[in-house]
Amino acid sequence: MRSPRTLRMLSAVAAMVLLFAAVTNWSGCRQDDGRIRITLWHQDRIDIRIILQRQLDRFMKLHPEVRVEELFKETEELRSGFIIAAIAGQGPEIVYGPSDQVGPFEVMNIILPLEDIFEKEWIDQFDPRGCTWYKGHLYQVADKLGNHLTMVYNKKLVPVPPATEVELIEIAKRITADLNGDGKTDRYGITWNYTEPFFFIPFMTGYGGWIMDSAGTPTLENRGTVDGLKFIKQLRDVHKVIPNEADYNVADVLFKDGNAGMIINGDWSWAGYLNAGLDIGVAPLPRITTTGLWCEPMVSPKGFSINANVSDEKRKWVIELIRFLMTPENQLESARELFTMPTHKAVQAGEFVQSNEILRNSRIQIEHGRTMPVVPELRAIWDAMRPSYQAVLAGTKTAEAAAREMQQMALRRIKEMNE
Amino acid sequence: MNLTAHARQRLYIFALVAPAFVVLFGVVVYPFFYNVIISLSNMSLRHIKDWEIIGFGQYVKVFTEPSQPNFYMVFLKTIIWTVVNVVFHVVIGVFLALVLNQKEIRGKGLWRAILVLPWAVPQLIVALTWRGMFNYEYGAINLMLTQWLGVQGVQWLRQPLEAFLAVIITNVWLGFPFMMVIALGALQSIPHDLYEAADIDGASWFHKLRHITIPLIQPVMVPAITLGTIWTFNNLNIVWLVSNAGEPGDQTHLLVSFVYKAAFNFYRYGYGAALSMIIFFILLAFSLSFMRRSNVTQNVYS
Repeated sequence: MRSPRTLRMLSAVAAMVLLFAAVTNWSGCRQDDGRIRITLWHQDRIDIRIILQRQLDRFMKLHPEVRVEELFKETEELRSGFIIAAIAGQGPEIVYGPSDQVGPFEVMNIILPLEDIFEKEWIDQFDPRGCTWYKGHLYQVADKLGNHLTMVYNKKLVPVPPATEVELIEIAKRITADLNGDGKTDRYGITWNYTEPFFFIPFMTGYGGWIMDSAGTPTLENRGTVDGLKFIKQLRDVHKVIPNEADYNVADVLFKDGNAGMIINGDWSWAGYLNAGLDIGVAPLPRITTTGLWCEPMVSPKGFSINANVSDEKRKWVIELIRFLMTPENQLESARELFTMPTHKAVQAGEFVQSNEILRNSRIQIEHGRTMPVVPELRAIWDAMRPSYQAVLAGTKTAEAAAREMQQMALRRIKEMNE
Repeated sequence: MNLTAHARQRLYIFALVAPAFVVLFGVVVYPFFYNVIISLSNMSLRHIKDWEIIGFGQYVKVFTEPSQPNFYMVFLKTIIWTVVNVVFHVVIGVFLALVLNQKEIRGKGLWRAILVLPWAVPQLIVALTWRGMFNYEYGAINLMLTQWLGVQGVQWLRQPLEAFLAVIITNVWLGFPFMMVIALGALQSIPHDLYEAADIDGASWFHKLRHITIPLIQPVMVPAITLGTIWTFNNLNIVWLVSNAGEPGDQTHLLVSFVYKAAFNFYRYGYGAALSMIIFFILLAFSLSFMRRSNVTQNVYS
């Protein structure tokens, strides 16, 4: 017979083992309820998340043996967290996000090529721009196309949106006003987030520039960069139709409060403005008369990639889930509530997309957009653009010097990244 | 199995300590040594799975790479950031604790609750609120400056020096309650007899502060200052959120945000690990030296 002390010791050890097992989740891929668990990481905001959860609930009702958990992560956290987890052989089975994450994920070999997983007929149902191919393989299938900037305007202040930069200045001047007579501007013609170079791209392309050549080498020191920067400076310092300083939140609040007639913002923002009770219109960004070019924003799909570590047991359910989320019904549901552009050709050609004013204009903007590169070097280019872009707006650098330094810094950053 | 009483007791103790040891090993010891190994490797975007040990190359890069900003500039800013913040935290915290410790103060609980508020609010909320307050046209700071003081608004977030000041102001506001709470606890533990004896001897307020209060709160304050220094030195949240990841133009980085950017934005894991080891040694040297110089381990009453 064992002594009470020995029993006490054994029970303490048993308790510790149980605790350790609970903490480290020894239950494996199945949950306690015996269902297969699939995890999906995404970076969607709350209104999109509600629709996603609704769709997942329907999937789980169809397949009671599967439990799908969606987990929100900020864009950066999603990217770095997925890399760290996948390198360690872990991570969610499905990762959802914009197509530019495909580049680094492919280089690190942490997502699966999809062209052998999904049959060609299924892939062909979707707009080719929603299927992200990289180095000869399909790595992402998207349910939403765009993630693109457009001109959003308050119809009370701007009955007809500007078609050119000349009209833009005219309309913006008409709206900009000191409403209470204190000598300070209370309402601006147009606003946007000045801190992110992503919002500068339409100005750069409108003046004929682009960020990289077909080999992925930065081409930031170009006429488009210089003239685009000068145009923004003119809007602020000469025409005085944009605020002195605006990040995303400031620009968003100004527009929502009716203190800006127009805002350059993406498809993710439209539903929010409508829900806030604004009578908005969405229009393509204007054309630059001196170059004859459209201000082209970057266009990228948002879609699903599969973790390279997915187990055989879960694999068929992961595929089934992606098929389900990509169905025309689910894409149409998102399009109706969020005004996002579906990738399914049948939905694109359907009555809702064809007749809805916002989606019609969104589609025109997508046609006047440039596909966002998926190469990892894009990260270095953004980072190289940001300081000089901000320095020009702060008045501490000329547009020419900024373009030169953007290029030099991008080359250096890419070299560091690829070491 | 026949175990002696002594062996059983040792096994029992081991069983109790083992879980803590396992957790400590998992979250501190293993990551630390893994980080040491990574810092000696070429792990990066292109060598994420096929990385290999390359020696001290990453450490050399940290000190010699002509990045913008470079290590020395960021290190200097980190020291300024840490010193200014900790000095203000301690001075404001101890001052408020002395005020709150006065018998004449009414509603101490309420005052204490109000003063602890900055500490109680999540850092994310604090940082984003202050960022909004520093906006050039619509921020509360500039509105006060222009409307009440009649001075020109400051471009807080657009110029490097002003942006650095903005993050310091935010962190000073956020950090003083911790020091205040610690100092208040220390003040309340000082025996009143000492002050009474000093009063009989005719000591002034300043003499009592210098010869009784400060020496007796020192054993509590020194570890708090050490902790505060380490936390401030390694504070990523405030700089990252108020200055929007080092803006303008990467001019408001601290070493810790510099590491974060290198490792997670540019996938330079080896370089980031080497830089984080350097930060570790800087803080280790500081902590050991500060603790030794301040004689914190000696009994204050001896």
